[in-house]
Amino acid sequence: MGHLYTTRENYTAEQLKEMKGKYLPTELICCTASREIEDGEIMFVGIGISDLAGAIAKLVYAPNSLMVAEAGYIGFAGISTMFSPADDWGATMAMCHQGLPETFIDQQAGLIDVAYLGFAQIDMFGNVNVSYITGPKIRMNGSGGGGDIASSAGRIVYTVEFNARSYVKKLDYMTEPGFFDGSPDARNKQNLVGGGPSCVVTNRGVFRFDVETHEMYLAEVFPWQDKADIEEVRKAFPWNLKVARELKIIAPPTERELWVMRLMDPLGLWTVARVLDTTLGKLVLSGKHDIEAYNALEEGREAAWRKALEIVT
Amino acid sequence: MSHDDDNGGEMEIEGLETVDYEERQKESGHKKRLNKVMTEKEAVATFLHDGDSFAIGGFFQWRQPMSIVREIIRQRKTHLSFIDESGFFGMELLVGSGVLDRLDLAYFPIRQVGGLTGLPSVDRCLKEGDPRPIDIGGVLKTPENKIRSDQLPLKIVDWTNFEVALRFMAGALNVPFMPCRSSLGTDIPKYNKEIKIMDDPYENKPLLLVPAYRPDVVFISVQRADRRGNGQVWGFRGTDYWKARAAKHVVLITEELVPIEKTYENPGMTVIPAYCTDAVVLLPYNCHPSGVYGWYIWDMLCDLRMLVACQTKEGFSQWLDEWIYGCEDHSAYCDKVGWENLDRLAKAEHVINRIPA
Repeated sequence: MGHLYTTRENYTAEQLKEMKGKYLPTELICCTASREIEDGEIMFVGIGISDLAGAIAKLVYAPNSLMVAEAGYIGFAGISTMFSPADDWGATMAMCHQGLPETFIDQQAGLIDVAYLGFAQIDMFGNVNVSYITGPKIRMNGSGGGGDIASSAGRIVYTVEFNARSYVKKLDYMTEPGFFDGSPDARNKQNLVGGGPSCVVTNRGVFRFDVETHEMYLAEVFPWQDKADIEEVRKAFPWNLKVARELKIIAPPTERELWVMRLMDPLGLWTVARVLDTTLGKLVLSGKHDIEAYNALEEGREAAWRKALEIVT
Repeated sequence: MSHDDDNGGEMEIEGLETVDYEERQKESGHKKRLNKVMTEKEAVATFLHDGDSFAIGGFFQWRQPMSIVREIIRQRKTHLSFIDESGFFGMELLVGSGVLDRLDLAYFPIRQVGGLTGLPSVDRCLKEGDPRPIDIGGVLKTPENKIRSDQLPLKIVDWTNFEVALRFMAGALNVPFMPCRSSLGTDIPKYNKEIKIMDDPYENKPLLLVPAYRPDVVFISVQRADRRGNGQVWGFRGTDYWKARAAKHVVLITEELVPIEKTYENPGMTVIPAYCTDAVVLLPYNCHPSGVYGWYIWDMLCDLRMLVACQTKEGFSQWLDEWIYGCEDHSAYCDKVGWENLDRLAKAEHVINRIPA
C-alpha cells in the first residue's frame, strides 16, 4: 500500500499556508485515495474521481493490480478517466471483455478486493444514500452498481468532496449497506458477503471505522489542518465525531500522482468546477459544431490517449 | 396463495411470466425467418405497440440504440414501460417526451454536474408534473396540486444494476425469480414491493429475490449481424446476452450487415444467435450520440449541447422538435449532425479500438 505520511514539523508555517491553497479538492481526494490499494489487488472503479484514484494507484503504487469496470471491462490499461463503466477507453488493452451480470457474479463470489464509490449522505456507521433527499424533494442518481458493490466487495473506499450536509444522523434513504446499527455481526445477519466500508477520503481528512464499534472517526488530516480546522470539521457532524488519538498527517499530493491525474483527464472534466469552463464546454458555448470543432476536441483527446498508451504499455 | 403481507400478495408484477414450449413458439413467429432485414420504422411499428414493455441493449452512453429511442418518440407511442440498468440520454428523452407509464431503473445521472443539472426531466416531472407527474412508490411523489386530472403518474421503481440484470437472467432462464446477496437490509427492498426477501431452503439464510422480466421487445445494437439475425458484439457485452433471451421479440440494429459466411469466421463473437432474433435493421451510426466499440466514440460535444438545451422545459421541447420530430428518419438525423462529424468520431475510435475486418 502506498500510504504516505508526514509530520507538521516538516513544514514551516509559511509553507503550510501556501500548500493549503495549492491543491484542488479533487486532487487531494484522488491522490490520497490512490494510496489505499495494495499491489495486486482487484479493484472495482467507477466514474470520475473514483476512477482517477484507481488509475493513480495502478500507475504509481500498484502496477499488478487490475481495474474492473462493471459493464464488463477487466484489467484494462487505463488510458483516460472514465465517464461511465462502459467507456471505450476502458476497453483498450483490456485482459477481458465480458458482460455486466458476469462482473457482478464475480464480485458476489468474492473476487473483487476493493471498490471506490461516492455518496450524497452517509451516517455514523457508513450506511450510504445516493437515491433520494426527502426535504427538499430531490431524486438523485440512484444505486447503479453501488448497492451491489457495497454489499459484496471486499472493502469500500468512499471518495467524496467534503460537504457538511452529507453527514447525517439518519439517512433519507439507505441505498448502500454499511455497518447498519454498528453491532458486531450486523452485516453477517443480513447475509452480506462483502467487508463493508473501509474509509471515507475527503479533502478535509480521511475517516475510518472503528474495528469494534464500527463508528466513523477522523483518522488522518492534511498538514495544514490545524486545531481550528479540525474543530470545524468535527462541527459538521451531527454526532460527536471521535478523533484518533494519534492523528496521522497525510503527505500532500506528489508530483507523480498529479501528473497521472493530468494525463488521465486532458479535458479537465474532474478538475474544472464548471463543465462549461472546460475545453468541451467552451466549444459548446461557441455555437460551432462543424468539423473544426470536432477536430479541436478529438485531436486533443487522441494526443492524450497516444501519450498515455506509450506510458502504460 | 394470497397473504396480506408487505410484499404485495397478489400484486401484478411488471414483466413477470414464464412460458411453456408451445406458448413460446406462438410468440416467436418471426424468429424462424431466413431474412429478417427491415427498416427501423417497420421494426418499431411491427414489434412495439402502445402499452408494451421494452428494453434497449448497451450501457449508459455506449452501444445504446439511440435512433430507436428517437423513432419511438417520433412514432408517438404511449403508455410504454421501460427497464434498464443505468440510463443516460435515452432515458432523459423517454421521460421528458412523456411516452412512459413506468420506468424501472438502477441509475440515472441527475445530480448537479459541473454547474448543470444532469438530465433534468425527472426533476421537472417531480416538481412540476410536466410532462408527467411522478410517483416513486412510498419515497417521493409530485405534489397533488401539480397533477392535472387527466394525467396518469409515471411510476418509477428502484433496483440495483445487478438486480435489473438478474431480472433479465430469470426471464431468460424461464424461471420466476433469481436470488442474490445485494441490498439486503437496505431501503431498496423496503420501498420496492416487487422484491422479496426469504430464507433459502438450504442454508436458512436471507437472500434477496428479484422477479423475472420478459419485456415485449428488446432493441439491441450490435457491431455486426447477418440477415438471419446472428448478432456479433465486440467490447463489453453489458446484459445483452440475457436481454435477447428474456424478451419476446428481439430487434437487432447493426452497424454492418454481413453475409452469413462472415458470421462463420468468428462464431465466438455471436452473442445473439439467429433463433433469438425477430428483425435486423442495418443502420450505421444508430447509437449516436452514444458510441460503439470499434466503430465510433461517444459524441461528448453533442451530448453536452443537449444537456445545456435540456436545462429548461422550452429548450427540451425545442430539442425534440429539431432533432426528433423535425427529422424524418435516422438518415435525416445524420444529415443534421453532419456525416463529416460522424466520420470524425469513427476516426477517433480507431486510434484506440478496432474490430477485426
